[in-house]
Amino acid sequence: MIPLFYYLALSAIIFSIGLFGFMTQKSGIRMLMCVELMLNAANINLVAFSSYNGDLTGQVFALYSIALAAAEAAIGFAILMSIYRVRDMINLDKLNILRW
Amino acid sequence: MAIENMAYLIPILPALAFVLTFFLGKKLPRGGAIIPIIAIFTSFVISLMITLNLLQNPEEVVSQSYNWFSILNVGILIDPLAAVMLSMVTFVSLLIHIYAVGYMSHDKGQPRYFAETALFTAAMLGVILSDNILQFFICWELVGLCSYLLIGFWFEKPSAASAAKKAFLTTRVGDVMFLAGIILLFSDIFRIFNGSIPEGVYVLRFNEIFSHIPEIAALNTQILGYQVSHLTLITLLFFGGAVGKSGQFPLHVWLPDAMEGPTTVSALIHAATMVTAGVYLVARTFPMFIAAPQSLLVVAYLGAFTALFAATMGLVMNDIKRVLAFSTISQLGYMMLGLGMGAVIGVTAVGDSLFHLINHAFFKALLFLCAGSVIHAIGTQDIRQMGGVRKVMPITFATMLIASLALAGFGIPGTSIGVSGFFSKDPIIEAAYLFGESTENWFPYVFAITAALLTSIYIFRLIFMTFTGKPRTDYGGHESPSVMTIPLMILGILALIFGALTKTSFGKFLEETFTNNFVNVDIHALAEIGKYHLASHGGEGEPLLILWMPVIVAVAGLLISYLIYGMRVIDMSKVVSRKNPLYKLLYNRYYQNAIYTQFLAVKVVYEGLALAGRAIDRGFDWLINFIGNIFTDASDGLRQLQTGVVQNYATSVVTGVSLLIILVKLILEVF
Repeated sequence: MIPLFYYLALSAIIFSIGLFGFMTQKSGIRMLMCVELMLNAANINLVAFSSYNGDLTGQVFALYSIALAAAEAAIGFAILMSIYRVRDMINLDKLNILRW
Repeated sequence: MAIENMAYLIPILPALAFVLTFFLGKKLPRGGAIIPIIAIFTSFVISLMITLNLLQNPEEVVSQSYNWFSILNVGILIDPLAAVMLSMVTFVSLLIHIYAVGYMSHDKGQPRYFAETALFTAAMLGVILSDNILQFFICWELVGLCSYLLIGFWFEKPSAASAAKKAFLTTRVGDVMFLAGIILLFSDIFRIFNGSIPEGVYVLRFNEIFSHIPEIAALNTQILGYQVSHLTLITLLFFGGAVGKSGQFPLHVWLPDAMEGPTTVSALIHAATMVTAGVYLVARTFPMFIAAPQSLLVVAYLGAFTALFAATMGLVMNDIKRVLAFSTISQLGYMMLGLGMGAVIGVTAVGDSLFHLINHAFFKALLFLCAGSVIHAIGTQDIRQMGGVRKVMPITFATMLIASLALAGFGIPGTSIGVSGFFSKDPIIEAAYLFGESTENWFPYVFAITAALLTSIYIFRLIFMTFTGKPRTDYGGHESPSVMTIPLMILGILALIFGALTKTSFGKFLEETFTNNFVNVDIHALAEIGKYHLASHGGEGEPLLILWMPVIVAVAGLLISYLIYGMRVIDMSKVVSRKNPLYKLLYNRYYQNAIYTQFLAVKVVYEGLALAGRAIDRGFDWLINFIGNIFTDASDGLRQLQTGVVQNYATSVVTGVSLLIILVKLILEVF
């Protein structure tokens, strides 16, 4: 059986990649993809702990979070589509009309 | 069900009538006048039945009390003093409401008028029924509010609006003193109990207050180097309230102006009922006054002075209602003087004063209603434009003549022949004589007797100018409808015979006010605190001249008036002119209004208080702006954080979480 540490390390690596991407990318679609990466890193953690503890709750939770992620992605892309129609680009750096 | 158990209905019914008339009056004929009339009639019947019961057994007063909170209560007290006031107020109010149906028939504001007079009646009955000083004060203020509303009834007239404001502000001066007196009294009783009030003791109830008079009298305060007893202070403050409400010098200035309201209001509020609330207050707290001799002397002197002071101004007024207003002030002065004479005649003074109060209520309400009848028919208030009204309005003339005779006090001493005012004014003047005899101080007597002479002159001047001679202008006019003349006749009969009927029983009845199952105070013992001795005799010992003196001056006044204004034998045109400084002084009411407005209002209030207020205002402005600026400046800096770039927010989140994790780690390792 693969020790828990490997799972956690994988999860941490994927999360860091996602975080790095989220903070450096300008394109909305890329940022959304990075958010998905971070989310799934968390899912890996959930499943890993679930199997380590022999408790199914974590896996159910992971399924639940995947379903939510799908919904969230759908909304996210829909918003980006709308932005694209109005602004003709999806560079989120330029979308700062909500600042002070 | 015993009638005493319905006592609470006496003020509640007019209050209900106020609500009903206020909301439904517009939909009913004649402004819904029928509602307050029925309500007040019921109150009158209950009051009268309670009074008749009380007459049988004056020691068994009606006293009901309910807990309000902890040491304060609401309650009803109907002792002889309250009973006579209750019957008088409900009766006069009833007649005036009926009269007003005719008098106000052309007015659009009828529902408002009847609602407000019903509220006034409720509040006035509340004042009378109170068994504690706080409830008394609350109703007292309500009465003042109604007075304000009704003086300003025709508020679209600037003079009425300003008269209402003046009345409100002037009486407020007195009310503040009254409140200060209550606060001082409350704290003193608290001190006497050492702060722990036993269960079931209501500190501001009259019986509780009266039982602590000796202790309050023993408390002293240093004021301007003098030792002043708290009892003297409290009674003087109470009297200050009475001065404001009852239009005594120097706070009488509002009462003549209050005539801007409808004449029925003047009759009800500013002649018969509300203005007597001050007299009622002093009578109600009489045991306190009798133990505070200086206060009682102030009451006597100020009363005597006001009686004369107002009578002099009544001589020169040309507005029919203003003459009556000054007459009211003067007669209220007599009542105060009568109470002040408690220094020599003890509790009899309350009987004398209240007797005059009740008689005055009848004849003065009648005078005002007659004046209203004349004004209603002729359309002017200036007596110079009247003359010969007797032919047009015979009933009004007859009733007004009776009222004037009653005011001047015609009668034969030693018999039962006389009008009501005679039987009530005489004892007061005689008491003033006794006072002069026992203290060698003739000031109250001289003032009272001079005022009696002037009273007779000004009232018959009014009668001759208005009713006799030839019409001086082309006024037309007609006798008033019977809904107005019948109340006049009823009041006329009372003004004629009430005094003769009750002259002996009235005083005896009222003497039970302070010795019954509610309060039982020994007036003589209290007078010992005041360090004077009450005269034992009264009425018999005086020389014949003194007994006849009030009548002599009344007849003299009538003759002088007749010679000047009836026969026109004496030519007054030299005297009555703007060039005569004395006339000018009187006509301008001793320039008291000018002093109040030019000096007090402009110099003290506007220029003094307003300037000080502005300085304080600016100080606060600066402080508040300073505090406000701190926050706006800080937020100006902080809002720069809102860049609108998602990555910046994410950076903060990550940094924050990382720092948190490091912190937790560190804490876990240290501990």
